[in-house]
This record gives sequence, C-alpha cells and structure tokens, in this order.
Amino acid sequence: MIEAQGLTKVYGSKKAVDGISFSVQPGRVTGFLGPNGAGKSTTMRMIVGLDRPTAGTVTVDGRPYASLRSPLAEVGALLDAKAVHTGRSARQHLRAMAATHGIATTRVDEVIEMTGLQTVAGKRVGGFSLGMGQRLGIAAALLGDPRTLILDEPVNGLDPEGVLWVRNLVRYLAAEGRTVFLSSHLMSEMAQTADHLLVIGRGRILADAPIADVVAAATRQTVRVRSPQATALAEGLAAADVQVRAVSPGLLEVEGRTAEQVGELAAARGLVLHELTPVTGSLEDAYMNLTADAVEYATHGTPDGGTGADRAPELVDVLSATAGSTTTSSTTTSSTTSTDGEAR
Amino acid sequence: MSTATATATTGALPPRTVTARPVTFGRVLRSEWIKLWSLRSTWWTVVLTVVAFVGLVAAMSGIVRQIGGDGPADPATGAELSASFVYSIAVQPASLAAVTLGVLAITGEYTTGMIRSTFAAVPRRLPALWAKAVVVFLVMAVTALVAVALGYAVSTLILSGPGLALDLDLAESWRVLLGSVLYLATVALFAFAIGAIIRHSAGALATIFGLLLVVENVVAAIPWEPLRYVRPFLPASSGARITLPDAAQGIYANPDAYWLDLSIAESFGILVAWTVVLLAIAAVLMRRRDA
Repeated sequence: MIEAQGLTKVYGSKKAVDGISFSVQPGRVTGFLGPNGAGKSTTMRMIVGLDRPTAGTVTVDGRPYASLRSPLAEVGALLDAKAVHTGRSARQHLRAMAATHGIATTRVDEVIEMTGLQTVAGKRVGGFSLGMGQRLGIAAALLGDPRTLILDEPVNGLDPEGVLWVRNLVRYLAAEGRTVFLSSHLMSEMAQTADHLLVIGRGRILADAPIADVVAAATRQTVRVRSPQATALAEGLAAADVQVRAVSPGLLEVEGRTAEQVGELAAARGLVLHELTPVTGSLEDAYMNLTADAVEYATHGTPDGGTGADRAPELVDVLSATAGSTTTSSTTTSSTTSTDGEAR
Repeated sequence: MSTATATATTGALPPRTVTARPVTFGRVLRSEWIKLWSLRSTWWTVVLTVVAFVGLVAAMSGIVRQIGGDGPADPATGAELSASFVYSIAVQPASLAAVTLGVLAITGEYTTGMIRSTFAAVPRRLPALWAKAVVVFLVMAVTALVAVALGYAVSTLILSGPGLALDLDLAESWRVLLGSVLYLATVALFAFAIGAIIRHSAGALATIFGLLLVVENVVAAIPWEPLRYVRPFLPASSGARITLPDAAQGIYANPDAYWLDLSIAESFGILVAWTVVLLAIAAVLMRRRDA
C-alpha cells in the first residue's frame, strides 16, 4: 500500500504537486490519470525518494522508501525508460541492479525472458527502441519480485502486442495481491487496465474512486429525442429541474429526465417520436469534464468550438479512438484539434 | 509469461521465490564494480592511461640515453636529465586519461539518467557515492601500478646499456615510482569529486581539463607576485610534486614563488585535502538534490 499525506512539490514558483493525499490499495490496479504536466511523474518520483517533497510525506507499506532495507524487493519502479546507461548492455544493467540486493543472476535471466529481451540482452541500451527500453525498465522493476509496482507510462512506445502484455501482467500482479500503481495520460488505456482511478490535474487530486464511479460522477446522463413535434414536447418537458436543448430542428437533448420519463410523457400527450436514446457520457467525456480546467498545456482557438474548449491535443487525439458509448460529440472536434494542437 | 494464469483471489501474497537481501556496502561495491567494467569508456581510459604513461617513459628514456649526463636538462633548476625525471613527465598525459575515468564514472550516470536506477536501488544514496569512489581509486591505482611497472621495465631496458637506469637502491627512486601510482589514483578521485558536483560529463571534463592544462600552468608561469600565495594550494601541481626527483624540487623552496615551504608529503596533502573537501561537498549535494 502506498500512502501520501499532504504531498507537495514546488519547483521555483511552480507547484507541481499541491498537497495531495491518497492511498493506493493492494490487490487491484490503480490508475493514475492526468494530462501531461499534471504532476504524475513528480508524485511517483517522490514515492521512491528521487525527489524530495517540499512538504508532506509518502510511505510504502507504512515506511518511507529511503528507510527500506531491500527497496527493490518492496517496490519495483519504472519511472523513466531512460534511467539506464546507454553504453551498458541490458544484461549488465540488470546484473548491476541485482548485485545491490544480492539477487541471483538466474533471476536476471528470468526477467529478461519474461520481458522478451533475450535476443537483445547483450546489446548496448543506446541502440534500443523506445519499446525495448520500456521492456528493460519493466524487467528492472520486476527484478526483486516487489510487493508494490510503480509504473510511469509503461505502455509508451510499446507495440499493440506489448501493450496487451503489460495490461495482462499488471492485472495478474494485482490479482496476486500486489499493489500496482500505473500512470497514463490515456483514458482508453486506463479503462481497460485499472480497477480504481486517481485523477490528477494541476497538482491536485480531482477524483479518487472506482473507475465506473468516476465516469458516472463526471458525465451527464442525457436523452436524445427526435420528434416532428419537438416544440410541443419541449413545452411539455419544461420544469425547474429539466434542461432542454434544441440541437437542430426536430432534435432535442434532454437533461434531468430519463428516457422512460420522456417516452411516457410523449405517449400521454400523443406526440410522435422518431428517436429516443439515452446517452451516457463516454470515458473521454468524463476525463475531459474532470480535467477541463486542469489541463496544463491547453490549446486555444480551435476552429470547432464544440465541447473541447480547453483540450490537450494528444488527449483528444488518442481518446477519439475509444469507442466509448453512443455519444458522437467529439469525433469531429478531435480531428481538427489534433492537427491544430501543435501550436502552444 | 508461462505462469500467467490470473487468479481471482486477492489478499495473501504468493510466497517469495526470489531471494533479495538487504543492501549492504559490500553489495553496492560489487554493483559499482560491474557497472564500471561494463562500459567501454572504462577500458579505453585504462588502456590509454597505461599506453600514454609507458609510451612517454620510453620516449623520454630514449632522450635520456642520448643526452643524459651531458649537462643540465632543466635550465631553471640546473638539474641533470636522468632516469628519475621521465616519470614526472609521463604522469602528465596519463593523468588526463585518469581524470576522464574518474569524471565519467559518475557523470555518465547523470547524463544518461542511470543515476535514478542507482538511487532507486540504493535510496540512501551515499553508499553508492562511496562505493564509486573506492572503485575509481582502486581501479586507477592498479592501472597506474601496472603502467609504472611496465614503464620502469621499458626504461631500464633502454637505459641499462649506458648505465643510466633508475637505481632502486635509492629511496628517491621508490618515491618517484610509487608517487606516480599514488598521484594518478588520487587525481582520478579528485576528478570524480568534481564530476559528482557538476553532474554533466562535458562540463566536468572541461572544468578538470581547464584546471590541469590551463589554470595550473598559467598560475605557475606568470611572474606576478601575489600568485606565490596561490601556488602552494594548486591541487594538481601540488600533488604531482611527489613524482618529481629531488633535483627538481628546488623551486618549491623558493619563497618568491612559493609563499609556503611545504614538504613533498605536505604538498601531496594539499591534493588529498582538495579531494576530501570536494567529496564532502558532493556527498552533501547528492543527499539534497533531486535526481
């Protein structure tokens, strides 16, 4: 279990992490989600003692990382795929890491095999692709058979097969009862990997809940109604707790009533309906809503105003690939945003 | 993964199949030993140290054979060029390779990001610094010992014919030979400390080369009176005094050039003091700074 209390990191005048408190429980995969620059990596570096917190504390199984006698057996961390000397071979890197804990060379060969690095283990890391570097980082994290795994953007640069492998690996390790803390800026990745979600934006925790709850809490439940008698229907629906929006002639978006309620009302008044669809916000909607004000590197002046006023381009780009639910709101936005998005 | 059949049960962790022992200084030392020898730069600098030293000893011995005993070689001191001179000359290019080894042993980790892996494995950090220091000093001491032994053998081969070979019955000869070993190992450690403070390969190498090749030579050469207070405290030229034969030590006793009349051992102590102080600063900074 990882526990943070009032954890704060200030770089100069910038608060990278702003007094966050959270706990990461064993036995499940906890996703650490946030836009780039939200403070994910800084938080993870503080957990393993690489960065000194400006204020607050963080412990692993009740103890500060620096006080662990065999840290690699307690915590395996992939913090930066580039945390390896480029002039050394993968095997020698792992051997040197293992030597600090008296870990046998057979275990080094084991993690090399687990991560599929056999053919390149003797080669210098400088020539590795991003994906191979990532695998080596994961191999190093697994070396001491740790109780807790901290993986910062582990699927970065991995091919689809590698992504699947990481996903299965972390789920397997969590099922064994280990603590798995995984960061990503990809909501889609989290949706398929994490059980629990910790959302961070501008150094603050925005959500800390099971992944389904995060989505439910942050998304609007709306009903889409198509009717040739839309005006009459809108009048009938009018109430203090109901919001009706005319999307286009004959198409309404209703918030505050369920599809059943809208259908019953239409039947009672004898109004014709051509479509009645409950719309649940998708994961990307949930994420956008949560982090809308917390995106550090936002794009401005997107041609399509839409709902994506302050979206980080890389998020929209990737998220649009997720087939979330019936909503179609951001498909057009995303393509325009991602091309324009390079202008900061 | 062959064993990747996920179980739904959570709670009790599986029994440990991997034996990981507590981090001790001995284990960190072993790790640093593996790290040093798994880099090509180590082999290059070690070989270069030996080649530079032995090569220059051979070349200088050839000159000694030609003009030895014919008069003063050094007009400033009036000392005669002899077999005891060659080591103090050979130690200079060899020291450039030695400091490169010392600097890269630590800056290579910062430049590549390896230091984060090192600190993750050794979160108390200082054992890693001390282990690196020990490994650098020992490796360079053994390297220099080999270089000096080979150099002596080659020099003796060249000079024994005309009867000019180094006389091992003299204490001075042993001081020059072992002093060369000690100087190369210590100056490598001195450079290591500078590297640990600066943390960038290029910056640290530029600093140490600038000091050795420019600053110390300029301070030694410029006849400006206040520099006599500076000269006794220059790290490299103070340390290198131990490699000079007795005949060339006169300049250090000249109060116009050297404000303090230090013994050879005291001068070497200046280099050691610099090294100790810089290592202490590096240790404090390493504990404080974010990696």
